[in-house]
Amino acid sequence: MRRRHFIKYAGMSLLGISLAPYSKILQAQTSPEAVWVENGEPEQLLLAALNAFGGLNTFISRGDVVVIKPNIAWDRAPELAATTNPDLVAALVKQCLDAGAKEVKLFDRTCNSARRCYRSSQIEAKAKDAGADVELVRDFRFRDLRIAEGEEIKEWPVYPDYLEADKTINVPIAKVHSMSQVTLGLKNLMGVMGGERGSLHNHFATKLIDIDRELLPTLTIIDAYRVLEHNGPVGGNVNDVRQARTLIMSACVATADRLALDLFGIPVVQVGHIKEAYARGINKFDFDNLNLKKITLS
Amino acid sequence: MAKTRRVFQILFLCFFIFLFIRARYPYEVGLGSDLFLRFSPLIPLFDLVSNLQISAILWPALIILALTPFIGRFFCGWICPLGTTLDITSKVVKSPDNRKSVDVSKWRPVKFGLLLGLIVLGIFSVPIWGIFDPLSIMNRALTVVFYPLSTLLAENTFRGLSSISFLEGPVFAAYDWFKMVLMPEEQAHLQQVAWIALFFGGILSLELVTRRFWCRNLCPAGALLGFLSQFRFYERLVGDACPQCGKCQRECKMDAIPQDDARETSKVECIECFNCGETCPPKIQAITYRWRWKPYRSVVDFHRRGFLNATVGGFAAIGLVSIGIDNRKDTSVLIRPPGSMPENEFLDRCIRCMECVRICGSNGRCLQPGNVQGDIQHLWTPVAVMRAGYCEYNCNLCGAVCPTEAILPLTLEDKKQTPMGLAYFSKDLCIPYARNEDCIVCEEHCPTVEKAIQFDEKEYVAPDGTTRIVKYPYVVRDRCIGCGICEFKCPLPGDPGIFVTSENEERLEQLPAVS
Repeated sequence: MRRRHFIKYAGMSLLGISLAPYSKILQAQTSPEAVWVENGEPEQLLLAALNAFGGLNTFISRGDVVVIKPNIAWDRAPELAATTNPDLVAALVKQCLDAGAKEVKLFDRTCNSARRCYRSSQIEAKAKDAGADVELVRDFRFRDLRIAEGEEIKEWPVYPDYLEADKTINVPIAKVHSMSQVTLGLKNLMGVMGGERGSLHNHFATKLIDIDRELLPTLTIIDAYRVLEHNGPVGGNVNDVRQARTLIMSACVATADRLALDLFGIPVVQVGHIKEAYARGINKFDFDNLNLKKITLS
Repeated sequence: MAKTRRVFQILFLCFFIFLFIRARYPYEVGLGSDLFLRFSPLIPLFDLVSNLQISAILWPALIILALTPFIGRFFCGWICPLGTTLDITSKVVKSPDNRKSVDVSKWRPVKFGLLLGLIVLGIFSVPIWGIFDPLSIMNRALTVVFYPLSTLLAENTFRGLSSISFLEGPVFAAYDWFKMVLMPEEQAHLQQVAWIALFFGGILSLELVTRRFWCRNLCPAGALLGFLSQFRFYERLVGDACPQCGKCQRECKMDAIPQDDARETSKVECIECFNCGETCPPKIQAITYRWRWKPYRSVVDFHRRGFLNATVGGFAAIGLVSIGIDNRKDTSVLIRPPGSMPENEFLDRCIRCMECVRICGSNGRCLQPGNVQGDIQHLWTPVAVMRAGYCEYNCNLCGAVCPTEAILPLTLEDKKQTPMGLAYFSKDLCIPYARNEDCIVCEEHCPTVEKAIQFDEKEYVAPDGTTRIVKYPYVVRDRCIGCGICEFKCPLPGDPGIFVTSENEERLEQLPAVS
């Protein structure tokens, strides 16, 4: 190696090292860890958030089988904000198919009679129109999932379609919850769990995170277009609903959930299961140094 | 004619099953599923006997009753789905013809006796006739026995096939289609299966003795129609060419042609199946059917002795029902569907057809065929069993399909405000009270606009000195509608920590005025 070359390479590498932090910032600027969009209609909110991430192809590859898990738990109309906004779900289905997904499956294990919930929430009709496979959950198909690191739950039945999917998108609606304070992404995952879910309710935080850690979704989209502020999770009174016209998106479900607490003004210390999620380290990002992008649509 | 009759029988049976299958969520427009059930000729009779009125919604049965004096028991021979099922059964088990079978003609008066006994009971408001109504029998057997059985069969077949890997996709597609068209999302499992199956199986197995044993000897609807058709104008005439070969007597389903004279016909028994015309040898063709304006009369095979026996039997039955145990514990779990009439009128009107149980099976699945509680009046009436299911808040379908409006067809808004019971906590079981740990599953599911289950947050000091905040639930009495979702969803394995009683139930005399 000649001296000239040595100086050249050394200089370049020095420059590179000194620029490295900038590149991280640069990269961070192009791809945030979480996005908060407000003041728009469901589809606009979704598109704006996806744009901030550089499109859904950041998360989904061509030929993927995608499972979308909205909240369809209750026999309620969309206006009552007990179930995920059907227009948001339909727009998401369309985006997935446009991004080249081979198949988009959509289901939820409901609390009321399944067919009623699928219908009243309008999710079945609109998602089907958009091209999704909307299926009722078949109880006999749940498979026991071994949870080696579970503290209280060592095994729990989970819907196989969720486990076998290439990518999973968790689409909860933001609601308060009498038992768990809020129901967001982490709690929404209960919809792929079988068994006697009521028995998860005591020692809830530990049990939920035990199972959730095996089920972390590719992407979490919190629908806060309508927010249920009282009498959650079932609601039933339009006066309990606030039009927040917001959407929160992150590849980390714990991050999305913790952000969404701002909607209700509930501090994280009061929410056992989100606290537990961080304590047990299932978060992908450091919340204190979160690269959050806030967008306000006009 | 016999061929036409067979086609009609099959069509009516299919129509009956079609309406039965249609009785499910989502239940939308078109024919009401209760239409066929309202053809039962017994309903107007007992409406008159028990309530001194004949409700206009019973028009289908009134048509049958109005036509019967002119054309006879065509309902039995052409329309009744139970009759058709019996005909099919007799083909399968190869029932003996009238010459080979034992002579059961002495049993014939039993059906009149049964009808009379039931009328006596009806007058004294002990309405149990629905147990014997042919359409009810049929619908009950479909709801409680055949439908769950075929679901079980179909589901297991599909599950078995789907385990073959390359078949999984198409099999599940077929399964979904099947589920959409035929079966509700989860099969309701019903109590009283064994007894209802035995009752129906008993009627079918009597075909081993003779054809249409039930219709000849036991059916109270047949008795009523037979009584009305003793003068009917449409007659079977046998010409002089008849050599008395005995073929028609042998083949007659109802044994309506006396064994000693093929020229006679009992109009009371004949169900106009036209088998006799079909069996008459082609060279002879002695049998014709025609209208005559001066008809002869057939004697009803029921005499003073039978009349007295049945009346006395009816009174004895009233006595037996009246001395049944009066146990408040039974009445507290006798939870009726929302919109039911006051108990006595409800029992008068309910025909035990299980149509409400059937449609509930595609919703919250709380309705069950009732047990004998204290006395036989409650047998096979709809009862909500909340540990088996619950009443869906947004559902009012049981009232929509009740053929006699024993359950009034409430609007959804009215239904949501009509309590069927009241929930109580059982604090020695309920998890927050018994273990001082959070649970609140009941509160989470409570569907009323202002939640009927609320909770207090209290600090609990554990034996080891640590403290925690626990949510202790309670019921707000005037908000609770007794829907029972709390009892159903309670995560305790056996007895629930919260249960519904019939206290606070609201029974309605008539539909609430439109507000």
